[in-house]
Amino acid sequence: MSAFSDALEVTSSGLRAQAMRLRHLSENISNADTPGYRRKTVPFETAFGSRDAVATVATGRVQLDQTTLDRIHDPSHPLADASGHYEGSNVSLLIELADAREAQRSYEANLKIFEQTRKMSSGLMELLRR
Amino acid sequence: MDIKGLSAIQKYAAARPATAVEDSPAQAMRAAATDFATTLAQTEQTAQTAMISDADPHALVTALAQTELAVETAVSVRNKMVEAYQEILRMPG
Repeated sequence: MSAFSDALEVTSSGLRAQAMRLRHLSENISNADTPGYRRKTVPFETAFGSRDAVATVATGRVQLDQTTLDRIHDPSHPLADASGHYEGSNVSLLIELADAREAQRSYEANLKIFEQTRKMSSGLMELLRR
Repeated sequence: MDIKGLSAIQKYAAARPATAVEDSPAQAMRAAATDFATTLAQTEQTAQTAMISDADPHALVTALAQTELAVETAVSVRNKMVEAYQEILRMPG
């Protein structure tokens, strides 16, 4: 039974990590037009232990993407400098949406495994019912 | 006693140590029951937190699934033990 409990624990850590990833993606998308906003990226880290230890995944420290911010030309904007440009954000909606789709896929895969583990353990208990 | 019967007895004697538990059966049962109680207590705690505040839904679902597993195991064991007890009661004489 501990193998099934371990599998459930790891799967839920994967679900949590993907949900956190989605949260940061939604922050990026919402703030795509905010001047001076740098997009957030979050690395995934695995809990390295002995080879038999359960390798749960966790999100690491949130990092800000350091690529240069967009310079948008709009002389009427309150933040515009002498040349009429102001700094926007470095969020590319295409990248964020693609990442969101990937997160969705990973989440679904983890859900599938969760369901599978439960089915397998129920099947095992079913043997005793007869 | 014929030769086949003899070898069956030898095999049975050889297999008996494999089924022995490390502690006495009562202690093994107690350990299993404690483990089961701990799982249920933890799940109850998580469920209460989830109902009151915005707790982590993944932790809640995992705790509930673990409990479901533990309860199913305990119920199966209980059923088998009751069945064995009833079989013995049914012995004539």
